[in-house]
Amino acid sequence: MSNIDRRTLVKGSLAAMMAGAAGSRGAFAQSSEPILLGVSGPLTGPNAQYGTQWKQGFDLALDEIQAAGGINGRKLTYNFEDSQSDPRQSVAIAQKFVSDPRIVLELGDFSSPASMAASPIYQRAGLVQFGFTNSHPDFTKGGDFMWSTSVSQADEQPLLASYAVKRLGLKKLAVLHLNTDWGRTSRDYFVNAAKEYGAEIAVTEGYIAEERDFRSTLVRVRDANPDGLILISYYSDGALIARQARQVGLKQVICAASSVYSPKFLELGGEAVEEVHVGTRYFPEDPRPEVQKFIAGFKKKYHGLEPDAFNAYAYDAMNMAAAVVKIGGTDRKAVRDAFTKVKDVPSVIFGAATFDVATRRVKGAMNAELVVRKGQFALWDGKPT
Amino acid sequence: MSSWLDYTINGLIVGNVYALVAVGLALIFGVSRLINFAQGSIYLVGAYIGWVAVVQLHTPLPLTIIVVAVAAAIVGLIIERFGLRPLQNSVRIAPLLATIGISFVLDQLVMLTFSPNPRALPSQLPDVRFQVGGGTIGPLDLLIAGVGLTSALLLFVFLRYSKLGWAVRATAQDRDAAMQMGVDVNRVNQAVFGIAAALGGVSGLLVGMYYNQIDTAMSLQATLKGVVAEVVGGAGNVPGAVIGSLLLGLVESYGVAVFGTSYRNLFAFLLLVIVLVLRPNGLFASARQAPPEPLTGTFIAPSRPVRIPRWALLVAAGVFATLPFFPVSFYVLQTLINAWLLGMLALSLTLVAGTVGQVSLGHAALLAIGAYTSALLSLNFSVPVGLAIIAGGLMSAALGTALISPSFRLRGHYVSIATLAIGEIVSLVILNWESVTRGPIGISGIPPLSLFGYDLVSPTSIYWFSFVVMVVLALLQGRLLGSHLGRSFRAIRDDDTAARAYGLSLNRYKSLAFIFGGFAAGVSGGIAAHLYSYINHETFNTQQSILALTVVILGGLGNVVGAIVGAVALVGLPEVFRIAAEYRILIYGIVLLLLVRFRPQGLLGTI
Repeated sequence: MSNIDRRTLVKGSLAAMMAGAAGSRGAFAQSSEPILLGVSGPLTGPNAQYGTQWKQGFDLALDEIQAAGGINGRKLTYNFEDSQSDPRQSVAIAQKFVSDPRIVLELGDFSSPASMAASPIYQRAGLVQFGFTNSHPDFTKGGDFMWSTSVSQADEQPLLASYAVKRLGLKKLAVLHLNTDWGRTSRDYFVNAAKEYGAEIAVTEGYIAEERDFRSTLVRVRDANPDGLILISYYSDGALIARQARQVGLKQVICAASSVYSPKFLELGGEAVEEVHVGTRYFPEDPRPEVQKFIAGFKKKYHGLEPDAFNAYAYDAMNMAAAVVKIGGTDRKAVRDAFTKVKDVPSVIFGAATFDVATRRVKGAMNAELVVRKGQFALWDGKPT
Repeated sequence: MSSWLDYTINGLIVGNVYALVAVGLALIFGVSRLINFAQGSIYLVGAYIGWVAVVQLHTPLPLTIIVVAVAAAIVGLIIERFGLRPLQNSVRIAPLLATIGISFVLDQLVMLTFSPNPRALPSQLPDVRFQVGGGTIGPLDLLIAGVGLTSALLLFVFLRYSKLGWAVRATAQDRDAAMQMGVDVNRVNQAVFGIAAALGGVSGLLVGMYYNQIDTAMSLQATLKGVVAEVVGGAGNVPGAVIGSLLLGLVESYGVAVFGTSYRNLFAFLLLVIVLVLRPNGLFASARQAPPEPLTGTFIAPSRPVRIPRWALLVAAGVFATLPFFPVSFYVLQTLINAWLLGMLALSLTLVAGTVGQVSLGHAALLAIGAYTSALLSLNFSVPVGLAIIAGGLMSAALGTALISPSFRLRGHYVSIATLAIGEIVSLVILNWESVTRGPIGISGIPPLSLFGYDLVSPTSIYWFSFVVMVVLALLQGRLLGSHLGRSFRAIRDDDTAARAYGLSLNRYKSLAFIFGGFAAGVSGGIAAHLYSYINHETFNTQQSILALTVVILGGLGNVVGAIVGAVALVGLPEVFRIAAEYRILIYGIVLLLLVRFRPQGLLGTI
């Protein structure tokens, strides 16, 4: 075979040998060595923005952890491998991590196909896969080494439905959702809860992530004659829909899931997102000390940049990982067991976070009812708009 | 009923947006018979230059447009001079691949400079809206329509009445004859690239303002829609590109009206396939237009394949077969598993694209069909995994061939565009056919690979399994190429008119090639499904189709060993560059460009 072929192989094997023999595990590192976590996520490709946001959240959390003396005197650090959120790459990364004995826990991946393709490898090797953006209902069913602090849609959507139906008094709803596993699952939880609260679902429309033009979709919405629009969207598509809704003359109340919570939503949506209602887990004016510490720290570290929900997920995930490793040490199985032991870890999204051992997810999150006023997210004062 | 007026207006508005990209593509295709996959990246560059002008420099709108047009034109000229002109005398597929490489490089440079976070690009026009039907239109909608139509009109006049325009058209019709008549073909090409790039940049700016949003992932989608619109209108026909874009916008809008939002792109790509089948030159191609490609071996480089001695192949096979006995990590094995799976896909593609000359840009669809078939059979009907994978291969062979067969009468680039569309259609059907495919939720809990009741879960056993399957498929294909059938395939590739004159039934042989190829790709998809345990409609996407084509061209079209070498190289390269994190796709793009430049016939050459 050709030279390239052989060269690739030799390089790969060298890297492997440096990383240590295959399959061996346990803590061989001296106690002065930093404790290493693996991160598998997108740094390039279409989801690159989320990997960048993760890094910001991770680095802030690590600064604080290091300043507080690290994990029992050792530094905590991570090795971020770019998967482009592509399953072919995330499985290779998984093998890299599981055969590197220094890695005590893995964080990620971003999307469900990439994360869940790697799950069997982590499960068999006995390395925790801590997926903090993985809301796919089957993610934690991959095995007892799959844990998640992803905002559980079973928890979140009924809160949004309650905000829309009970508090805002919307009786006939149009639901627009991202047609992915996340959007679809969320939509189902939302629709069920909204019906339970007595609302009628006039129309649901699923759109793909690359979509930019929603005018025709909004005509469909208009013809269904709802009195409220529900957006199960990320901030970029949420802002697009709100803008185009106003442009085609829809004046209905808009309610959006917490995933739009980002300064970018305001920047991209401009005037059109005024009076949009957002149910969220995270709100910077929340007086809780952990939230205020996060925001102040973030702005200081990143030159005045406002953090958003994905920054907060990553920050919380790193703090949770630190809390777990503090109990479990560097033994992978002990780390897994530590997830059942951590209690009331201070977090931005969940307040005091504790895992539900049965679902391996965090239960019971904070909820704030926000509305966009004068280009800012503000707590809703209860007055109808 | 009044809503139909709104759907029509909306369709025309978004059609306008597509037209901005399609016109640039049509112009380049008209002159150099090249589908410029970098056009979307120039659009991206234009959007970001526009952002700098508007947000940082606060330029007024006319100045912004001029700045963007000039800057984008310069980028276009650089691409033409350094990316494409050196490839003038190489195979047709080389510049196509080069534009893909250039788009990687441009997208990545923009991402590194501006970060991948989306940005707001505020419109510089007053925010007034005019009531039309039940909706409204604003000044920016009108400006976009104005720019699209005016540029198409100006180009039309330029091509028909100016001296340089004549030169452009002469070059388009017959490059060599134009050169003999004293036309400076290079200058023509330069002019065309400059104009097309300026248009592309301005369209990025306007579309960014229209949505008040730009991000670094917007280029591929723009290229896809632009290509569809252009081909529907008649590739290389500038007014046709505008009409094709408007038609595409209308079809999408009416599709949403009747069937709902999640079917939107399905209708766009169906429109493309139908137009291609009924009018292979596009709707507005004149009857007198020359056939889309010369008939002989367009894509195939004349080259002497590198003959690898049998003993060397045996040694290499022996080394790879015994690799797990050496102290190599599971990471290396997993990377090679990916290479073997990609190798199977490349074997499939090298047969249809290399041996029969049907370049496919939608090959990931065959993976998806195999993967879903195998996953669903083993989950829902408890079919043993080994059998389910074989069934996946058979299903890909049958369904893939049936889907692709309407495009058998197409030639050259049109085949690749049709296959691109079919790939998208398969993915959208998977997304929407929820009762079978579980739609966006995907299929989880797919049983692991197993053989005769033994689960293959360790990387070592999966490695051996996929390696053996690939070697068997490669041996079968090698046998096929040496046979009478293989020679008939190559005869069709090299000159289909002559082949037909010798009594070869083109459709039948093309079908046979897709059946063999579909089987290999389906098996690869099936194995991947059981390896990953979770798949959804995004698992096998356009990027994998492009990767497979890159592998095949890198290895040498039609070359069985080349396909495998290419797969190992292209899976391996990004892993080797992994240390470079954000820069690795940039490096990958540059390596691709260098390969196309210095070895367009592939590493091992065409067989």
